[in-house]
Parts: sequence; structure tokens; C-alpha cells
Amino acid sequence: MHTAASTPRPRRRWLPVRRETLTFYLLISPWLIGLLSFTLIPIVASLGFSFTRWDMLSPPEPIGLRNYARMLDDRLFWQSLSVTVHYTLMYVPSELIGGLLLALLMNQVSTRGIRIFRTIYYMPSVLSGVAFVVVWMWLFHPEAGLINATLAMVGIRGPRWLVDPNTALTALWIMSLWGLGRTAVIYLAGLRGIPRELYEAAAIDGAGTWQSFLRVTLPMLTPTIFFNLVLSVIATFQTFTSAFVATNGGPLDSTLFFVLYLYRKAFQEFQMGYASALAWVLFVIILALTLVIVRSGRWWVYYEGEDR
Amino acid sequence: MLKRLSFILLISILAMLIAGCATTEGGIVQTVVVTATPTARPEGAKIVLRVGTGDSGEGLTPHFRIIEMFEAENPDIQVQLEPVGSGDYYARILTQIAAGDPPDLLQIGDDAVPMFVDRGAFLPLDGFIASADYPLDTSIYLPGVMEPGKWNGAQYLLPKDFSPMAIYYNKKLFDAAGAPYPQEGWTWDDLLATAQQLTVTDANGNVTQWGIQLPGPWTTGFEYWVAAAGGRLISEDGSTFIGYMDSPEVQTAVQFYADLYNKYKVAPPPADMNAFGGGNSEFDNGTAAMRLFGRWPQAGMKQNPNIDLGVAPLPAGAERAGVLFWGGFGISALSDNPEAAWRFLRYYTGKEGAEVWKDWALPTVASVAESSGLSTDPVEGVWLNELNHLAPRAYVFTPYWGQTADPALRRVLESVILDPNANVAELLATAAQEAQAALDDLR
Repeated sequence: MHTAASTPRPRRRWLPVRRETLTFYLLISPWLIGLLSFTLIPIVASLGFSFTRWDMLSPPEPIGLRNYARMLDDRLFWQSLSVTVHYTLMYVPSELIGGLLLALLMNQVSTRGIRIFRTIYYMPSVLSGVAFVVVWMWLFHPEAGLINATLAMVGIRGPRWLVDPNTALTALWIMSLWGLGRTAVIYLAGLRGIPRELYEAAAIDGAGTWQSFLRVTLPMLTPTIFFNLVLSVIATFQTFTSAFVATNGGPLDSTLFFVLYLYRKAFQEFQMGYASALAWVLFVIILALTLVIVRSGRWWVYYEGEDR
Repeated sequence: MLKRLSFILLISILAMLIAGCATTEGGIVQTVVVTATPTARPEGAKIVLRVGTGDSGEGLTPHFRIIEMFEAENPDIQVQLEPVGSGDYYARILTQIAAGDPPDLLQIGDDAVPMFVDRGAFLPLDGFIASADYPLDTSIYLPGVMEPGKWNGAQYLLPKDFSPMAIYYNKKLFDAAGAPYPQEGWTWDDLLATAQQLTVTDANGNVTQWGIQLPGPWTTGFEYWVAAAGGRLISEDGSTFIGYMDSPEVQTAVQFYADLYNKYKVAPPPADMNAFGGGNSEFDNGTAAMRLFGRWPQAGMKQNPNIDLGVAPLPAGAERAGVLFWGGFGISALSDNPEAAWRFLRYYTGKEGAEVWKDWALPTVASVAESSGLSTDPVEGVWLNELNHLAPRAYVFTPYWGQTADPALRRVLESVILDPNANVAELLATAAQEAQAALDDLR
């Protein structure tokens, strides 16, 4: 303090730093403001709303834990959870294995070929989900659809797909396999990253195609598989578009996904409190699953340079 | 070798995907384009009214036309239309109400009226209707079209447009079968007999022509069958489903509806359980002789070369009854300019507005229906005559209909359409209990 009068603070030394800090915050402020007002604050608010009853027209009325207690008796809550888990068990393995097979295929063709196929197979992930679902709805049309028309040509009477509660979820699963390209592209990057020497060494040791796949490709790919698994589980638990557009949860609630049920409570029945509670339950479920997967990674994911 | 094989495989998978794409015809996804834009006015003294509507695309044209006419006659008011397309309209205006800034006038569909009005979102209009400066003569309206805008005896919304239900029929198919056209006074038995006569089966047992295309598990449309069977789905005081939804009359209605699908096989199975109306296209393709629905697709049917269109009144069951689908406008309780909003509302939904609406939907004002020749038109007259047989819809008795009994009833309809051996009485009993539990929880 006493030095302040005698030796003026070396402004030149401090100002640029302070200015830099200011510029930094100024530059990230669009993002920061957006995050705060459209994501962070609503998230916190939704936790608050989950302890209330709120129809958006009258003020929220605090009801403690009743929204959470209500789920225990809510048949459709359990139904939507079961549909979602069921679908995750169907979709995630098929995405992981199917994507890998597609990537292995692509890896066989020339570098130029890879570029073309990679672009084409990735395309569905870029285009509008709704448009794709509408196209698939036509394919699945029980009478006029391409799938059943083709089956009819060989004398098979196709199922009624989206209209039949026994096949609707399967139809949505087939529909979603369209997006395999996204996973395949990530696998492809992983495959390209495997050092050639490893294959050469394996070949010298007398390993065949199958063995070098099992002993080299697969272990070296485990970080990629792990990454895809985590992404896939999180995404699958949030499935919405296909069911919303193609079936609206029906027939007989056979495709009532958790997020679709949440949407219905929030934006069709305007039970914002209950919907917020559902969102938090979903968050906790996804968080728990992700933690389990991340923990399990210790046992099966191999990172290069790691001592094993 | 492996390289080539992989290449061929990749190409063929691609070909399959592309083939899948190519077979679907374009034009499924509609782009909504708002054409007319409110012109900017430099004068500062004008009152600006905001109008919220869920209409979109072509449906906005009559709005803009009426607004233009009104602004020309009322230079002190400027009207701004705020259309919200797709299904997000209610979510949007609820957000605006929660934020304290909704449009001054709001368009609402029939079954949403109790929810909004019961929570105080709209101003009662009776004072305005009887006012000295800008009164409204409510006797100008056709019978029944004011009812959906009422709640607890007071008028909150005025009618924009409406549609009753009726039966479309294809004269070509009737003439080919030598069947007489359906007439007022026909019954469920006549409907069944006609549908059976018009259902054609080929040598392999495949149906090549259906008697009647029905709207699948669409609950609102199903209310016709309940009303015609002499039943009701909820008690008069809005408190009870048990004893109503599962009553013998409702059982009769559900059983007859299901039998048309599964026992008599005169109705094509729904192609899409999700679409409002079942997603079927048999009537449009000329492979179904009749269709039960509202007036909305009529303009397209008139231009369809497969169809020589006739419209028949609803057949009577135990009673001669029908139901109304309706859209109306009200004034937001949060409006800063309720008087100006009322002046526009009485124009918008009054005789002047009806003159414009009549080219887009059925007009609500009797004199407009008459002067335009619609009341005596062989097709439009049938629709208008249905107004004399309206039964109240279930939503008018409770603001919770959509969250309680509607999904339960939908499940019953899906079950009986999908499963020919479904036990109707049991399904309805379960549905009534489920709906009751949900209602008791909310009230």
C-alpha cells in the first residue's frame, strides 16, 4: 500500500493482461450467455419445477416429491422405460457390430474409394431426421410399401410393420440402421490409425486374416468401440424423432419411448412439473449407465503405450 | 480379390438404399411459406393488435384478406398475424402466456377451450356482445356454432370455422353396383347393408373394393358413434367416467365399429395408426365406396378423377346424432387493448369475416350460407344440415379430457381394431377405471 504513492503501479505491465482477460470474456460471451440462458438456467429451473405442479397458465404449486412418487404407479412410465431399454438392447449391439463390418468393408477399398463411400454413408447423419422417417414410413406401408410389395412378389405376406404392436419397434430398429454410417466413419478413423507394423509382425508370426483381426485389429480398436458404445447408449436413450413421426408411441404404446412420453406430458398435456421430474430421472439413468460403462472400460479397453 | 468383393458389396448396399429412396413420391414434406406480410405503417398513433393462429401455408390467406379489409375500415388499428405452424402452436402460446406477452387475440381448437378458459386465459365476451358502441347480434349464427366457445354458460370465443362429420360416397361405385345413394333417415343397419353390397372380393379371397373407409382409432371422430348409440363418455358434471365410458351404449358403439373392420370386413384396416383418420387412401384411389370423415379433404376429392362425389348425412343408430369440430378466436386476458381487440374480433368472426371464410370452409353466419347458395347445395347443404343434430362432445364437460379419457379410449379402439377377439366390455371397463384414476389425480 505504502508504495502506491511513491512508485506508481507499472500500468503497462498489468493492463495488457487485464485487457486480455476482458477480451477473453468478451469473445466467449455470446456462447456463455447462450449457455447460461438457454441451457444452464433452464436445467436448474427444471429441477425446481420437478417439485411442483405447473400447467404454465397458473403459477407453479410446490408439491414436494409427489411427481417422483407418482412415477411408481404410472403404468406408462414403466412402459416407456421398458420400450427404451428394450430398444437400446436391440440397437446398440447392432450399431456397434454393423458399423464395424461396414468400416472393415470400406477399409478394403482404395483410398479414393474410401473418401467416396465415407461421404455417402455419412450423409444420412447430416440430412433431416424427419424427412428420412417419412420416407421409411412409405417403405413400411402395409399394402403399398416397397418392402411388403417386394415380399409379396416372392409370395410372402409381409407384416403390417408400424401398424402392428408386435412389429412396430422392430420396424423402427430397421429404420435406424440407416444411420450406421456415422459409427462406421468413426471406426474407419480408428482402423486407419492402427500401425501397419503390427500387421506385418503378425503376418511374420504366421497369423491369418482372422487371427490378425482378433489379435491386432480388435484390441487396437477397443478405444473406438468404447467411444461408440458410450455415444450410442446416450443417444439411444434419447430416441425421439422416429417414434414421434412414424408411430407417435403406438400402436398400443409399443413404441412409447421415454423421451416421447416426456414430450407428451410437457407439450401436449402441459404437466410441466411431472415432465421435469421425468427429465431428471432420465438424466440420472443415463449418467449411471455412462459411469458403469466408463468403469468397465478399465477391463477391456486397451490404450497404446499402456503396460499390460 | 477381397478388394473387389468389398467394392461390389458396398455398391450393392448403396443401390438398395437408393432404390428405397426412389420409390417414394415427392411432396410428402410440405414447406410452409408465409406469403403476405403485414405492410409497415409509418404513423405512430395506431393501436397494434397481435393475432395468434395455428393455421399455416394456404390457410393464412383468408386471415390476411380479412385483416386488410378491417384495416381499410379502421385506420386507427393495425393487425399483425403471428402464425405458428406445425403442432407447436399451443406450446408456443402457453409459453407466451407464462411470459406475460401473448397475442391479443388467440385462435383455439374446440377441445383446448376448457383448458385455456378454465385457467383464465381468455376474457369473457358477454359484456362486449351487449355493449352499446360495438354490439354483436348473436342470432346471426348457424345453430350450434357458438356452443364450443362457451364455458360455464359464458361466451369466451367466437367461431372461425367448423366441420361436422358426414359420409362421402363415390357415385361411380354405387352406380356400378346398382346400389341406391344413401338418404337422410338411413340407419346403422342400412349402412352395414350398403357397405356389404359394395365390398368386392376376388377369386382368391382378397378384397378389391371396400364398403367404407373409417377413421381408425381417431377418438374425436369416434364420438359420433357414441352419440348415435345414445351413449355418453362422461357424466354431466364432468366428474365421472365409470358408468359412462363402459355403459352398454358405448359398448354397442365400439362393438359395431370393430365389427365393421373385423367381423363384416367392409372397412380397410388402418394403414397407419398414428395419422389422424387412419392414413388410408382407398377412397381416394376409388377402391372404397364410402368414407366417414369431416369436410376438410372435400376440395381435393372434387378434383379427383377416381371419384364422382356425393355426400350423405350420418346414419342414425338409436339416435340421429353427430359431432362438431370447431376453431374459434378469443381475447387474451393479458391484452393491453381489449376494446380494440373486440372491434377486430366481431369483424373477424362476424358477417364480414364469414363472407371471406365461406370460400375456405363452411361459413358460420346463416345469411352468408344462404346468400352464397351453400344451404341449398346438394353437397354443402348436407354438411350444414348436420348442425341440427349435434351432440355435445366429451371435452365440454372437463378441462382434463385430453389427459385422462382420451388416451384410454384410444387404447380401446386400437385394441378392438387390431384384435378381432378383443373383449369390448372388459376393455371399456379397464379404460373407464384408468381414466377415472387419472382424473381423480388431477382434480
